[in-house]
Amino acid sequence: MSVVTDLLVPGATLPEWSVPLTPTVIVSTAIATRDFQDVHHDRDIAQAAGSKDVFMNILTSTAFVERYVNDWVREQTGEGAVVRGIAIRLGAPAYPYDTLTFTGSVESVEDGVAVLKVTGSVSLGDHVIGTVKVAVA
Amino acid sequence: MSELFGVDEAVHEKVMAEAERIKALGEAAEREARDPVNQPTINNWLEAMGNTDPRWRAGEAPPSMAQVWTMYGLGGKPPADDPLHGMMGVLTETGFTAVLGTNCEQEYHRTLKVGEQVRVTTALDSVVGPKRTGMGVGYFVTSRNTWYVGDEVVATMLFRVLKFVPRSREEAGA
Repeated sequence: MSVVTDLLVPGATLPEWSVPLTPTVIVSTAIATRDFQDVHHDRDIAQAAGSKDVFMNILTSTAFVERYVNDWVREQTGEGAVVRGIAIRLGAPAYPYDTLTFTGSVESVEDGVAVLKVTGSVSLGDHVIGTVKVAVA
Repeated sequence: MSELFGVDEAVHEKVMAEAERIKALGEAAEREARDPVNQPTINNWLEAMGNTDPRWRAGEAPPSMAQVWTMYGLGGKPPADDPLHGMMGVLTETGFTAVLGTNCEQEYHRTLKVGEQVRVTTALDSVVGPKRTGMGVGYFVTSRNTWYVGDEVVATMLFRVLKFVPRSREEAGA
């Protein structure tokens, strides 16, 4: 039994983690994912399109879900997680000056794969509901 | 006949016929990443995400960067034969002008290494609708991307968007 096998057991919960969303976070992450859609970096255009402000792009929502799970596994075991898949459902937009707060737990472990459920919430509700598959073999 | 939620029957038939035609193209619009997997691009991503895992400083890319390598870039446009772009065009032309990403499901077969050249294909997986949603009446369009290094599949993604008539316009009778 490896340390990650001991950690990822059904019912195990991850500590809450919050990301303060500055305009810099929204814009720098969009650009770092090579997503140049204007609604992720140009407030005037985002507002003209009916949005309150620029908002987080999908690649970044996925990246934060990955980081949340990986950082926890790394802190607990000293080794990063082997992430096999991330499936997300998108809800409320994540705007600057809001806070994205993650909670999560291990749902099941089967055939060497742990399935974690992760939720990232903002003031408007759930921004992202994710299922993360981590190898535990 | 299933409920059309006010969508004209001829419009619905056109949408579904185009969906079948585009689905039949299979994996299409193959594109090469602009650059091979490279450490400076990984480092920029790590800084932006606040990701401090030392694994990603040593020639291996974080799994969720799979899609980054084949993004179109600033000013980049999908090719005319791109199945997702084509289906979105059909729906825009028939009045479903607004778009909202709803689901993104990525599977990572392995991590990518610095120096690897990635290519991607796009296929139309399904078009489901019309559905009445909180945003308005529209169709759920699901595409499937497959990333390759050589002939090896390294990652896949199912991406679903809602293409819809914004509710205010619909209520105005547009």
